[in-house]
Amino acid sequence: MNRTTTEKVVKSLKQRHRKEKLFKAAGFASVCFGFLLVLTLISDIVIKATPAFHQHWLKLEIDYQQEWLGVDSLDYEKLESADYRKVLRRSILAMMPEVSGRQDKRSLYKLVSNNAEFTVRDALLKSPEFIGKKKNVWVMLDDDVDSYLKENTEFSQTGIRISEKQAGWIEQWYNNGLIDKQWNTEFLTSGDSREPELAGVRGALTGTMWTMLVTLILSFPLGVAAALYLEEFAPSNRFTDFIEVNINNLAAVPSIVFGLLGLAVIINLFGMPRSTPLVGGVVLTLMTLPTIIIASRASIKAVPPSIREAALGLGASKMQVAFGHVLPLAMPGIITGTIIGMAQALGETAPLLMIGMVAFIVDVPMGVTDASTVMPVQIYLWADSPERAFLAKTSAAILVLLTFLMMMNTLAATLRRKFEKRF
Amino acid sequence: MSDLSFTENLTSSDITIEGTVGKVVAEDAKMSMRNVNVFYADKQAIKNVSLDLARNQVTALIGPSGCGKSTFLRCLNRMNDTIPICRVEGELLLEEQDIYAKNLDPVLLRARVGMVFQKPNPFPKSIYDNVAYGPKIHGLATNKAELDEIVISSLQKAGLFNEVKDRLDSPGTGLSGGQQQRLCIARTIAVSPEVILMDEPASALDPIATAVIEELIDELKEKYTIAIVTHSMQQAARVSQTTAYFHMGQLVEMGKTEQIFTNPVHTLTENYITGRFG
Ligand SMILES: Nc1ncnc2c1ncn2[C@@H]1O[C@H](COP(=O)(O)OP(=O)(O)OP(=O)(O)O)[C@@H](O)[C@H]1O
Ligand SMILES: [Mg+2]
Repeated sequence: MNRTTTEKVVKSLKQRHRKEKLFKAAGFASVCFGFLLVLTLISDIVIKATPAFHQHWLKLEIDYQQEWLGVDSLDYEKLESADYRKVLRRSILAMMPEVSGRQDKRSLYKLVSNNAEFTVRDALLKSPEFIGKKKNVWVMLDDDVDSYLKENTEFSQTGIRISEKQAGWIEQWYNNGLIDKQWNTEFLTSGDSREPELAGVRGALTGTMWTMLVTLILSFPLGVAAALYLEEFAPSNRFTDFIEVNINNLAAVPSIVFGLLGLAVIINLFGMPRSTPLVGGVVLTLMTLPTIIIASRASIKAVPPSIREAALGLGASKMQVAFGHVLPLAMPGIITGTIIGMAQALGETAPLLMIGMVAFIVDVPMGVTDASTVMPVQIYLWADSPERAFLAKTSAAILVLLTFLMMMNTLAATLRRKFEKRF
Repeated sequence: MSDLSFTENLTSSDITIEGTVGKVVAEDAKMSMRNVNVFYADKQAIKNVSLDLARNQVTALIGPSGCGKSTFLRCLNRMNDTIPICRVEGELLLEEQDIYAKNLDPVLLRARVGMVFQKPNPFPKSIYDNVAYGPKIHGLATNKAELDEIVISSLQKAGLFNEVKDRLDSPGTGLSGGQQQRLCIARTIAVSPEVILMDEPASALDPIATAVIEELIDELKEKYTIAIVTHSMQQAARVSQTTAYFHMGQLVEMGKTEQIFTNPVHTLTENYITGRFG
């Protein structure tokens, strides 16, 4: 190399280094920007969601008078169907003797949750010796009261239906130490409800688990088998080309179309029960399959041909090569593809609306053929509700969904590492 | 001088190839091929080649790059079946048995005719599992002790055992290039094939590792029939008893290695061996 070449290289080198630096800076900036966005999003959700994890309770001295209950002291069997509403209301009134007039009384009763009378009942059923006696029972407050207490704002604010009078009573209770704030375990242990203070994600979460299970059981083996067949066994002809083009097209079809298909074919033609995780899982499988097939094919293709030749040269059959060598080596990529597909399916709402998974369902589904809803649909439903308390519940449900997703990803990452470890 | 221009120089000459010069028939043939033609789609890669592989001998296939040595070698255990566009014609016999017969299972054939590839390609498994794989899929061992025995003796025959005996559980891909190639040879031997095909087995190795492999090939011929493709004339001269010179898909000359290297008959062979062109 003579002098002038060296000089030229040195000159161009400067420019090349500058370009590299510029690119590095731009890359770092975009990563930071992305991270900042995610951080903002998550912290916003967390802040909005925190109220949902607490619930205010009221301490009441319940007077289990037989007369009010309408039972004999000896007749324990009838305890279950006794008139606890009367007991509850009389007990509240006894605590607030100054309240009179039908209207005022009614607005007083409204301050406790609808399920308070069941709490009162359960307390007695647990220890029937209190019949005819008084007992302190904690009952849930209504969601409006709860929101009012949490937000500590003016009454009659939008979405919080608390009158001035009610606010006064609440303050009186509060100052007397009758109100206590506790962890809201109900949120994770109960199903949906019209009453925000009673509504939980258990139903939707279980529905999501069932649906994901169906999706995984159907789409993973089908997708991997299809990819293996297309890559390792299928003769390359017009037919396989046609299939390949169609799989790629399928991956680009809007998800709601799969919902329509599910409605028309799976429910109306095959008569599978609507609104169930079974149908939901089948529909999401249609959506997930192309993703899994495409990712699996790519990672099967990336397995070095020399490995196949080595095994074939030793007299392994095609089947043994595919399952003994190609599949294990392609597995990390296949798992990545599967988790991408499953994550898409997890957040999907539109196709599930079409097959009726949007219904209001209180019971926790016990199997894949029980009517249920899923987390994203539940979030959508709550976000649409006018009650103030649902605002926090919506964010809390999003948090639960994100946690579920993270758990799914962690599981996949662990599995992946296990396969990658094999040298 | 690149291989390509080398070939061009040779073909630009007016030397014609009319059949094969020399002796293609062996008295005691393990495999015998007659009038073999191989096509990739419409392109003919092997033109009317006939030759025998003599039992317990090493036959070297030499020739310029792209002349079809690998293609021919891969016909002998039907590895070409994996290439959809490849078509093989002619008579290829292993002990009087047509290896392209409809009722012959290529899986069985490959158990009898093993192959060692140019680039070492151990499985991403342990050294032990690499060698044990063949016996396992063919069910050659009935219990663990028998399998151990096969693995150890194969590694010993491949001259690798002493180097790896303390780490049979470590990955085969973690060995050096030469060790990996010997591992691949051990893996092939473990199936107890009758014929071993080697496609430039030492091309990725340094002279010392090459010498080890060459020594190994020399020992292996006691038990196996071997065909080896090589670009190194010295290697062919050192390890083989018979040499076949290929040119543009044709078998130009075949004969005793000594004779080919000292006294080639065909001008093309002479040019190739002496490194003279045109
Ligand atoms: N898979 C294939 N598809 C199409 N043509 C091929 C294929 N493999 C080889 N060929 C062609 O067949 C001819 C012979 O190739 P082959 O690999 O047998 O040569 P070779 O003698 O082994 O060369 P080298 O010494 O470089 O390995 C070449 O012209 C090559 O381009
Ligand atoms: Mg070759």
